[in-house]
Amino acid sequence: MNDLAIHAASYLGPEGFGNDLSGLRAWPSPLKENLSRGELDGLHWSLLSASDPSRFLRMDLMCRLGFMAAELLAVNFDTLTAARREHLGVCVECFTGSLDTDIRFAQTPRPSIFAYTLPSTVIGEICIRHRLKGPVLSLISPDTDGANLLGEAAEWLRAGDAEMVLCLGIEAMNVSTANSISLPENLFPRGWHGAALLLGRPENSPREKTFATGRLLEVCRNLCSVPEHAC
Amino acid sequence: MGIAVETAVNQSAIAIAGCGAVCATGLGMEPLQHAVAANASALQRRELVIGKTSQPIVAGFVADEIIGKLRAADAAHADSRAFLFTSAALKEAANNAATILDFVPANRRGFVLSTTKANIEALDKLVRQQPVSAVAQRQIQPAFLAADLAAAFACCGPVQCVSAACISGLSALQQGAALIRRGLADVIFVVGVDVISQFVLSGFNALKSLDPDGCRPFDQARLGLSLGEGAAAIVLAKRELLSSPAILISGAGTSNDANHLTGPSRDGSGLALAIQRALAKAQIAPGQIDYVHAHGTGTPYNDAMESLTLRAVFGDHVPPFSSSKGIFGHTLGTAGVLETALCVAALKNNFLPGTPRLRERDPVAPDSLLVEPREEANLNCILKINCGFGGTNAALVLERELP
Repeated sequence: MNDLAIHAASYLGPEGFGNDLSGLRAWPSPLKENLSRGELDGLHWSLLSASDPSRFLRMDLMCRLGFMAAELLAVNFDTLTAARREHLGVCVECFTGSLDTDIRFAQTPRPSIFAYTLPSTVIGEICIRHRLKGPVLSLISPDTDGANLLGEAAEWLRAGDAEMVLCLGIEAMNVSTANSISLPENLFPRGWHGAALLLGRPENSPREKTFATGRLLEVCRNLCSVPEHAC
Repeated sequence: MGIAVETAVNQSAIAIAGCGAVCATGLGMEPLQHAVAANASALQRRELVIGKTSQPIVAGFVADEIIGKLRAADAAHADSRAFLFTSAALKEAANNAATILDFVPANRRGFVLSTTKANIEALDKLVRQQPVSAVAQRQIQPAFLAADLAAAFACCGPVQCVSAACISGLSALQQGAALIRRGLADVIFVVGVDVISQFVLSGFNALKSLDPDGCRPFDQARLGLSLGEGAAAIVLAKRELLSSPAILISGAGTSNDANHLTGPSRDGSGLALAIQRALAKAQIAPGQIDYVHAHGTGTPYNDAMESLTLRAVFGDHVPPFSSSKGIFGHTLGTAGVLETALCVAALKNNFLPGTPRLRERDPVAPDSLLVEPREEANLNCILKINCGFGGTNAALVLERELP
């Protein structure tokens, strides 16, 4: 069934960042150093947005990844009317979830990071920034590549629960955090990436659709590796 | 071109085949129903160490005797209360659904876990360099806890874990129903769990969200919430597997406030959206709702927001409503499942729960707030609502089939 369409996709990981229009860009050299530790700061944010980074800087790594992945697609939904943004759903799938922040909070409890000890907080951050009020879903799965999310989003669209769905696949686990309590690496993989895909119906997309099947991470990375502008 | 994702959506209602619970009221649905009928609070005051200081905490603790009994029966999971609680609730729910489970093969049984923090106690111990078993350490990760439970209960169909703050339970029930509608399973075990831990106490204590004397939902002088712990399980099934009259999940909806991370929107419009979505799915009008089981945490902002929402959705005819968190506390990832199980019991036994610990109703709350439980002969349709951090809202419609 080809009744659904990908409107846009984004990806960011240690190798670079971008969306399906612009393609993947390598991080500028001066910013690469922090990336090996999974640290995204205000300078990374400034590559995507001219807006004040103060909110971004309050977030944990998981939220920063989701927030940036959504920002890379924002042109697709920031011009929608408020009524249509009530029908834009947001869902996230992850394996590690908020564990990186959980460990930090367990080591040093601070009220400012407690709200980030939930994997669904990234949905709240994105909804606040882009004023999205549609249905929400937050899944934790044994796969780190968003194996279930496209199926869930497809059901929402076919059942009429949403007009468009922003699907996020995020993994955020700093090596140093995981090692600080000796979590076994085979059960708790280290590393980080963020991927976002805007799924909808063909009639709602402002531009050419791209065909793809598969898992969220793979779909997003592939679409960003072969951008439309490069074709 | 489009994306090819195979789903076959069947919009039929999903039936509830069995429920189970372990919480501050005890082990099983029966002590829970007795506490609700008596409008009795099971909250207790204990002196606990949070961080480096000891302080009194009023919360819904699972009794030590019950924990001891569960540990004795399952030594392999002795240091994973999350596993022990969920197993106990699942066993009861499975027993109650035994008549249909005998006919459903393992590959048609799915599993959905609802939790905010899974076996977070193991993380607390690791950070303090205390011994933790390999099993308990593995179950820090919610996906592994879900997989271990699914295996223990012979669920070889789809396995999912929902972690969406305090709407996790309702979202998990919605997911379970969706998996059956999509033809991926005939039966889904939905179980919610969370435990009171250093981690969770530290967080809510730091946010100053806890009422030092215990929560008083919808009370004029309410100061905050009381945490609770435990597990609750609900077996969902294809409607055709149960005889009439069944209790159905006929609609569900979620939304986001897009307003604030740790506080609800002041006008209740986000929760109203979730309710409207659930009612639309159930194809019923607001006037058909006989009772609303509120989130009712006892925090000043939450309860005020819910009151506004109920007025916005129901106008001058707000149905009877109440909060049960004065009985067992706010059980976080368990809440949606536990409170739905309570609503199922209400539909089966024709009673409406009260709002224990309430002294003086907040004038903002609609007059239909139930202080005491009561019998209700014409109880057919219940609306269950929950809200959570991140601005999330969820609503679920339960209906008793007419014979």
